[in-house]
Amino acid sequence: MSGLAVAAPERTTTPGPVRRRGSYRWSARGFGLPALLVVAVLLYLPFLWTTWISFTEYNGLGSPSWVGLDNYRAMFDDPNFLTSLRNTLIWVVGSITVPVGLGLLIATLSYGMRFGSWLRLPFLIPYAISGVAVGVVWRFVLQNGGGLSQALDALGLPGADSRWLSDAPLNTIVMIGAAAWQQSGVNALLFVIGLQSIPREPIEAARLDGASGWRMFRHMHWPMLRPLTTVVVGLSLVASLKTFDIVWVMTKGGPGRNAETLAVTMYEETFVNSAYGAGSAVAVFLSVVTFLAAITYLRRQLSPERTV
Amino acid sequence: MRLRHTGVAALAASTLVLAACGGDDDGDTGGSAGSGTINFYTDKGAWEPQFLQVSDVSEGSIGLGLDFTGYSDAEQYSAFIRQSFRTDEKPDLFTWHTGSELEDLVAEDLLAPTTDIWQTAIDDGDVPEALREHFTVDGEQYCVPMNAAYWVMYYNKAVFDQYGLTEPTSWAELMTIADTLKANGVTPFYETNILFSFVWFQTLLAGTDPDLYNALSSGEASYTDEGVVAVMEQWRDMLEAGYFGDPGDQTAPQDQLKSGTVAMINFGTFLSGQLNSVDMVSGTDYDFFVIPNVNPDLPQTSLIFETGPMCTAKDAANEESALEYAQWWMTEEAQTAWSNARGDVSFNPKAQVNDEQLAALNEQAGADDHLLLERYFEATPTPVLTAALDGFSAFVTNPGDPMPILETIQAEADAYWSSQG
Amino acid sequence: MTPMAARILRPTVLVVLGLIWLAPIYLLLVNASKDPARYAADQVWRPVSDFALFDNMRQAWEIGGLGDAVTSTLLYSVIAPALAVLIGAALGFGIVALRLKHGFFWFVLVFGGTVFPLQMILMPLFVGYVEAGIYDSRLGMVAIYTAVTVPFAALVMRNFLGGIAHQVFEAAVMDGATTWRIFWRIYLPMSTSALVAVFILQATFVWNDLLLGLALSQSDEVRPLMTAAAALQDTYGGLQLTAVLAGGLLVSLPTVVLFLSTQRIFSRGLNLGQF
Repeated sequence: MSGLAVAAPERTTTPGPVRRRGSYRWSARGFGLPALLVVAVLLYLPFLWTTWISFTEYNGLGSPSWVGLDNYRAMFDDPNFLTSLRNTLIWVVGSITVPVGLGLLIATLSYGMRFGSWLRLPFLIPYAISGVAVGVVWRFVLQNGGGLSQALDALGLPGADSRWLSDAPLNTIVMIGAAAWQQSGVNALLFVIGLQSIPREPIEAARLDGASGWRMFRHMHWPMLRPLTTVVVGLSLVASLKTFDIVWVMTKGGPGRNAETLAVTMYEETFVNSAYGAGSAVAVFLSVVTFLAAITYLRRQLSPERTV
Repeated sequence: MRLRHTGVAALAASTLVLAACGGDDDGDTGGSAGSGTINFYTDKGAWEPQFLQVSDVSEGSIGLGLDFTGYSDAEQYSAFIRQSFRTDEKPDLFTWHTGSELEDLVAEDLLAPTTDIWQTAIDDGDVPEALREHFTVDGEQYCVPMNAAYWVMYYNKAVFDQYGLTEPTSWAELMTIADTLKANGVTPFYETNILFSFVWFQTLLAGTDPDLYNALSSGEASYTDEGVVAVMEQWRDMLEAGYFGDPGDQTAPQDQLKSGTVAMINFGTFLSGQLNSVDMVSGTDYDFFVIPNVNPDLPQTSLIFETGPMCTAKDAANEESALEYAQWWMTEEAQTAWSNARGDVSFNPKAQVNDEQLAALNEQAGADDHLLLERYFEATPTPVLTAALDGFSAFVTNPGDPMPILETIQAEADAYWSSQG
Repeated sequence: MTPMAARILRPTVLVVLGLIWLAPIYLLLVNASKDPARYAADQVWRPVSDFALFDNMRQAWEIGGLGDAVTSTLLYSVIAPALAVLIGAALGFGIVALRLKHGFFWFVLVFGGTVFPLQMILMPLFVGYVEAGIYDSRLGMVAIYTAVTVPFAALVMRNFLGGIAHQVFEAAVMDGATTWRIFWRIYLPMSTSALVAVFILQATFVWNDLLLGLALSQSDEVRPLMTAAAALQDTYGGLQLTAVLAGGLLVSLPTVVLFLSTQRIFSRGLNLGQF
C-alpha cells in the first residue's frame, strides 16, 4: 500500500453483502475482453510472426527457411551486438536517472510556488512537438560546430570543438540529454500530481516544527513520492530499452555503428540488410528483456494479492 | 492524377461512419486504380511535385497518370515493397535499385520483363545501349531507368573566382587547387559520415584503377588487395591533411556549398536541383567539372553514374498500363519533362535539358573518352555495402589504419560470395 | 539554508533551467522564421531580420500536401484514444470492481503489449491488413492506434479505479443496477479526469505518429499528417531547412496548445502513485 492513503481509500476485503465475487465471472470477462482482444490480435499475433521468423532465414521475398537457433547464435557472436547491448544499458541507466531526476527536481522546486505552473511550461512544450521538428532542431544543436558548440564558444566555455555525435560514448550521452529534454517535463507533471495528493496536515505540522528545504523533501515528500517514482522509473525503463527514434534520426547508429542500440541493430538488420531472421532474433531478445524488466517492476508495485 | 477529397465532411457524429470508409471509397484512386491511373510508389517522397508535373504531361499524351505514394524512409520502403508481393496490393510501378536488390526480385520471379520495351527504346535512340546491362538479369531486361545521374565535382564559383582558380584538367591541378584553398583557410572538399561516406573511396579507386573497381564489386578482387589498401591510405592522407570538411557536419551539402563552408562537393548531378532550391544559379553561383583521373595514364576518364530503375510487378492490377507508362517514360517527351522538372541530366540523349551545364555533361558522358562506372552503392551487394558504409563512416570520422576496416568488409564479402555459389 | 535564500534560489534555478529548455525551441522558432536565402548554418542563434515564418509554413503546407492529411489525422487522434480509454477503463472495472479471476495476469498480458518494438510488427501487420482488406483504410488506422494506446490506458485506469471504494459498487448493486449501468453511470463519470488525462496524452501520441501511418496507409485520404510532414525532408532533397522547420512547427501547434491548456486536468486524473 502506498502512502497515499487519503487518495486511495482502503478497500474492504471482506466479501460484499450482496453477491459473491464468482457471480460476476461472466460480466467481468465481458469487460476485460475488448482490451485482450484488441491487444492480442493487433500486437501479439504480429509478434508471433516475428518470433517464428527469428528461427528462419528470410530476405522478405519467397518463403522463409527454417534454421533453428542459428540467428541467435550468430547474434551473440557478433561484436556489434555487444556494442549495442552496452549502449542500450547506458540508455537505460541514463533514462532512469536524468529525466526522472530532473522531473523530480522541477516538480519539487515549482510545487506550491506562485506561478509554479507557469515556470513548468517550458519543460512541457518539448513533449508535444512533432518528432520531425525535434529531430531537425537537435541535429542543429548537436552537430559539430552546431548550436551547442556556437553557444559554448560565445560564452567562452570549453568543449566547443567536441564532436558531439561522432565519438562514442559521448554521442550516446548527448542523445540521452536530448531525450531528457523531451521527457523531463512529463515526469515533472507526474510528480507534481503526486505531490498534490500528499495530505496537507503532516506537511503543515512538519513546517511548524521548522522543517523546510532539503529536510522537508527528504523526510516528508520523498517517502510519499517513492511509489510514484518507481512507476515513472518503470515506464522510463521500458521506453529506454526500446530507444530507437532519436538515435536513428540523429546518427543512424553511427559512425561505424558505435551509437547503435538494440532497437537500431534490429532495424538495421531487418530493414537495411533485409536479414529478417537476424533482425527478428534481436527483436525477440529485446522484447524478452523488456518484458522481464517490466514484470519485475510491476510485481513489486502492483502487488497481485490486492486484486486477485 | 490523384483525386483529392479536400472538403471531406464534418467530424462530429459521423466520425465512426467516416472511419469505416477508407481510400477505396472513391472508385478510381487507391487500391483499385482504373485504366487512367497507375499506382506509383517511391522512396523519393520529396520528388512528389516533379513526378506529378510529369504525370500531367503523360495524361495529355497517353491518357495515363500517376497516383503517387511517397516514402521518406528508404529502408522501410524497401521492406514494404518486398512484403507487398505477398499480397494483392502489388505495386503497378515503383522505384528500386539496380544490382543485388534487382536480382533479388527477379530470382523470385516478381517482375514483369521489359525486354521488348528496351529493344524499341534502343532502336529509337532513346537510351544508350550501354545502360542495358544494368537492367539485365539472365538475359532478360526488367524495369526501365527512372533517372540517371553522374557523379561530378560541384564548386562554388565565387570562391573559385576569389582565389583565381579554374576548373582542373588533371588530378595534380585539382590538388593544387585544394592546397591553395587550404592555404587561404577554405575547406576544399565536402565529406559526410552518413550514407554517402563511400563517395571518395569510389572516386579514388575508379580514378586509379577502374578494373579493380569493377572486380571488387563482382567479388573477383578483395578489399585487402594492395591496390585497395593504397587507395585507402591516399584517402587517409587527404583526410589527415585537412582536405575535407567535418564529416559530422549534418548541414545539407547545398547549404555548405552556398555558405562557402566547403568549396567543392563530389556529388551526383541531382545536387543541381537542390542547389537551385537554395537560390543558387547554375553557371553563375555554382558549376561542376568531371573529376580528373588520379592516374593520368588511364586511356579514359572514369565517370561514375547511377541509375534508379522504375519497375512493374508481375500480375499487378494495372500491369499493362504500367508497362505502357514505363515505355513512355523513356521517350524524349517524358525525359525532357522529367529532367527539367528535376533539374538533372537524362539518360535519353535526345532530351532537351535546359540547364546548359547539365546538357553539356549529357553529351560529354556519351563520348568515347569517358568510361562510365556504376556507382558503388548499386554495384556492391547489400550486405557488403552495409559493412562498407559503416567502415567508411568510422574511417572518415577517425582516420587510421585501414586494414581492420577492409578486413571486416572483406569478411562480409566472403560470406556473401560464397552464399552465391 | 535560510527560508529567504530558498525563496530566491528556487525560482532562479527553475528559470535558468527553463531558459535552457527553451533554447532549442528558440532555435526552432528563429530558424523557421528565416528567409531561406538568409539562413546560414554557422549562425543558427542569430535572430531573424525579416520574418518569413508564414511564407515558410505556407510552402510546407502546400508542397507537403499537409491539408489532405489533417482531417484523417484529427479523426484518428480523437477516436482511437477515446476507444482506448474506454476499453482500458472496462478492463480496469472488470479487474477492480468485478474482481475478474486472475485479474493481475490479464492485466499484465494487456500491458505486455507495450514491450514489443513497434518497428518489428509493421510487416506482419501490413500483410495481415492487406489480407483482411483494411490496408489503407481509416478503419484499419483507428484499429491499430487503439491497440497501441490500450496498454497505457489500462495501466492508468486500473490504478485510478482501484482508488474508488468497493462500497460504491456494492451500494449500486443493492439498488439493483446492472454491471453495465454501474460502469457507465457511476465509475466512468467518477473517473472523468483520468479518462481525459490519458486521452490527451494518447491523442498527442497518435497525432505525432509516423511509423504506423507510413506502414499501413497509402492514399492521401488515409495517410496521417506526420507521414506527409516527414516527406518534406530526405536524402534526395526536399524542402529547405527553414520550410521543414516551419512545417514541423505548424503540425505541432495543435498538440502543444492542447497539452498546455489542459495541464490542470492531469493533476486530477493521472496519479500513478495510487496503488
